[in-house]
Amino acid sequence: MQTVFTYLTIFFTVLVMQAQTKTASDETSATPTKYEKGMVEAFRLWEEGKQWDAANMFERIASAEPDNWLPAYYAAQINVIYSFGEKDKSKLSEQLAKAQDFINDATTISKDNPDIMVLQAQLYTAWIVFDGQQFGMQYSQKASGLYEKALAIEPENPRVIFAKAEWDMGSAKYFGQSIESHCKNVEYAIELSHNFPTKGKFYPSFNLDRAKKVLAENCH
Amino acid sequence: MKILVISFLLSFVPSLLTSQTIISGTVTDPKGIPLIGANVYLDGTYDGASTDEFGKFSFETSEVGSQILMVSYVSFEPFNLVKNVSEMKDLKIILREDVNSLETVTLSAGSFSAGDNSKISVLKPLDIVTTASAMGDFVGALQTLPGTTTVAEDGRLFVRGGEASETQIFIDGIRVFTPYSPTANNVPTRGRYSPFLFDGITFSTGGYSAEYGQALSSVLLLNTIDEPVQNKTDISIMSVGGGLGHTKKWEKSSLSVNATYINLAPYIALFPDRNDWIKPFETMAGEAVFRQKIGDGLLKIYGAFDTSDFELNQEDINQPEGVHFKLNNQNFYTNASFSEMLNNGWSVFAGGSYTYGKTKVGIDEADSKDVENSAHLKLKLTKRFSNRFKLNFGAEQLITDFDEDYTEPLLNANLGFNNNITSAFTEADIIFSRKLALKVGVRGEYSEMTDEFTISPRTSLAYKTGKNSQISVAYGDFFQQAENEILKFSDHLEVQHAQHYIVNYQYAANNRIFRAEAYRKNYSNLVMYNDSQPNVDTEFSSNGTGYAQGLDLFWRDNESIRNVDYWVSYSYLDTERKYKNYPIQTTPSFVNTHNVSVVGKYWINDWKSQVGISYQLASGRHYTDLNSPGFLQSKTKSYNSVSLNWAYLISPQKIVYASVNNVFAFKNVNGYQYASTPDANGNFARRELRPSADQFFMIGFFWTISDDGKDNQLDNL
Repeated sequence: MQTVFTYLTIFFTVLVMQAQTKTASDETSATPTKYEKGMVEAFRLWEEGKQWDAANMFERIASAEPDNWLPAYYAAQINVIYSFGEKDKSKLSEQLAKAQDFINDATTISKDNPDIMVLQAQLYTAWIVFDGQQFGMQYSQKASGLYEKALAIEPENPRVIFAKAEWDMGSAKYFGQSIESHCKNVEYAIELSHNFPTKGKFYPSFNLDRAKKVLAENCH
Repeated sequence: MKILVISFLLSFVPSLLTSQTIISGTVTDPKGIPLIGANVYLDGTYDGASTDEFGKFSFETSEVGSQILMVSYVSFEPFNLVKNVSEMKDLKIILREDVNSLETVTLSAGSFSAGDNSKISVLKPLDIVTTASAMGDFVGALQTLPGTTTVAEDGRLFVRGGEASETQIFIDGIRVFTPYSPTANNVPTRGRYSPFLFDGITFSTGGYSAEYGQALSSVLLLNTIDEPVQNKTDISIMSVGGGLGHTKKWEKSSLSVNATYINLAPYIALFPDRNDWIKPFETMAGEAVFRQKIGDGLLKIYGAFDTSDFELNQEDINQPEGVHFKLNNQNFYTNASFSEMLNNGWSVFAGGSYTYGKTKVGIDEADSKDVENSAHLKLKLTKRFSNRFKLNFGAEQLITDFDEDYTEPLLNANLGFNNNITSAFTEADIIFSRKLALKVGVRGEYSEMTDEFTISPRTSLAYKTGKNSQISVAYGDFFQQAENEILKFSDHLEVQHAQHYIVNYQYAANNRIFRAEAYRKNYSNLVMYNDSQPNVDTEFSSNGTGYAQGLDLFWRDNESIRNVDYWVSYSYLDTERKYKNYPIQTTPSFVNTHNVSVVGKYWINDWKSQVGISYQLASGRHYTDLNSPGFLQSKTKSYNSVSLNWAYLISPQKIVYASVNNVFAFKNVNGYQYASTPDANGNFARRELRPSADQFFMIGFFWTISDDGKDNQLDNL
């Protein structure tokens, strides 16, 4: 039973770099606002490996920008990502509780947001990876449901398609089923990513390198 | 630190050279140990910093006047301070530990929880369906926990020297009046309800909360799923019947329906048992749960209907031709509850249940027909003052109307009673620190039938002795009226009383749990009578007494051996009673002194299979040997049973399941029936009371069809 989820572990531990790719180019704005400076600073800390200082920074920006879901989203994302591989159950649960608070804040500001749904699904995956036997039952269904919902809202969002394809690959591989359709979805996501508009500054962006890597490692 | 450097550099830029104030201080835990990486900032501004390795922080702000300084750090309660920024210097901030943590002590005395994700759970929800001996019955799975007694021919829960009727079952906090399907003598019963509709099970073997009354020994709390995940259809085909379930989800509501049909006729034709069946057991059951979100509240309506029918000739030593027994039962249960979080930490729960049960029993020439109408109404309010202090209070009403028509060729009797009980309770939960927690409550009950008022104090206390271990103690007074079978003959009995004293030690770490619990129970006001079976002429009194004491041990380990999960339970029980028609105080016949359960599950990855084994050992039970002087003076030999199951995943949605109970066909004897008259030599002949069948086989196929094709049978493993 646990093995089904070790596949997933491998998938999600590499998420770390996902959010950080676009930041360098964003720094070129003419007169940066306090918000822009803060966000750039937070991403820089994260890139330097000071993820907890970055999370604190995002938390502070979230407190100053109560109408913007992005800082809360990134504060949650850091707490989720660094929960993968955490072995201490009480630490894991506290970290994920904190992430859940930020996800709740982000959801209140931006309803029906597919990126937040994907992050919520990843939070559930952290529990499943920690103990598949205990949490697999309650959370794998919830995670699947969220991917479905996110896809229904934005059927052409490459990030959603890619995240869902990775999730689907895990269970297909386990059952020795063909992962071909999921590979096609990764390819489709890559294709869509070239034309998918970036919604704004500091928005989550598609991680092309990772998608290519997943494709190369699993599909051909 | 980088932020500090930057803001320091920025402060040289003239435009920013407005009055800057430096805010500084240290953040520590209550023991004075510095907290590294805590987030310190002025609420609603960009000004803030993380603490360094000495717990120190320092940052500049251009804000003036009174501001809110926030400090947050994972696993500690958020801190805030309202002060003029000019005074925020060399602050000494001590964060309090967040008691909403897994590290916090839990009130574990007497209670096992299954499937609660935040605290230590002894059983996981899937254990109900994967425990080899349980056969998908939640009661069967609970019987592998310590504190329960092996009464194989009955199937109900016997807890710590208590009769089965001393355990009450609640669904979503509301009483279930008739939780078990009726059966013939010597045929074990099953819980009426499907395990798949519940996501939380708490089994308390004593010392439970003041919220629950009318249970002398134990409560079993079942919670239905709040929000199903997706639309799906479940199909099951078994060697003894079949089932169909469907869940439909809408934006704010959902409906789950479930129907099962069981017919033992084909099975008994292939594997005849010791009974001479005229009409083998047949049952049809339907259940539905509807959930609707209303604002911030949730309305749940649960309904279950089932009908059982069978007829047989049972062996009897006094009747060579056997005893003719037939039964027809219809049972309807509905339960509705509404819960909502209100403002200022208040929340409200209101609910009610209604049971209609009609049972027709024919034993030889005698026929009885009884109808029970029962209802339970409950209102509960909770006020959460803080994470550390919570107060509950509420009121309840239990209403039972019981009627029985009894006919024999020469006798006609109409029996019945009305039983109304009004109760109120209040309880406080206080968490002093992560190490110490206390629950104190009191419950008052008034019985209209006997015009009696009782007060039950309940309390439990838990103290953490180490990172992974804790000790908890509990005390409580518990009251319960006599059973319907007694109340229909007598309405002047006092309410029965039990006192529980419990000490519990628990160690939990790395998927291993060890629990040891010692207890003492004192019984008083138990029902006594002067006939072999209660009847209209029987004289009843409330003078019965008794005690039970013992030790329960539990060990579960999901870590040491790869892909193996196992648990071991041992219960030692010392109990005596003088009740019913007992001439002396002695150990009742349903008691085993020693009970051992071993349950193991092994996942074989290459075969996509889970194999399970369970072993049950119970020491002999008392019976009265009519050929020697005494009462309940002899003991049967011990009970042994090994059960196996195998689940094979064909695909994520399809599973084949097979199980065998008592693989080695141990010959178990539950007791003896003696002839009512001695033979020519003055000897009373006797007959062994054996299970109707030594072994039981089952094969099933389960198929789940869901929207996304992902929800799978793996989850049922």
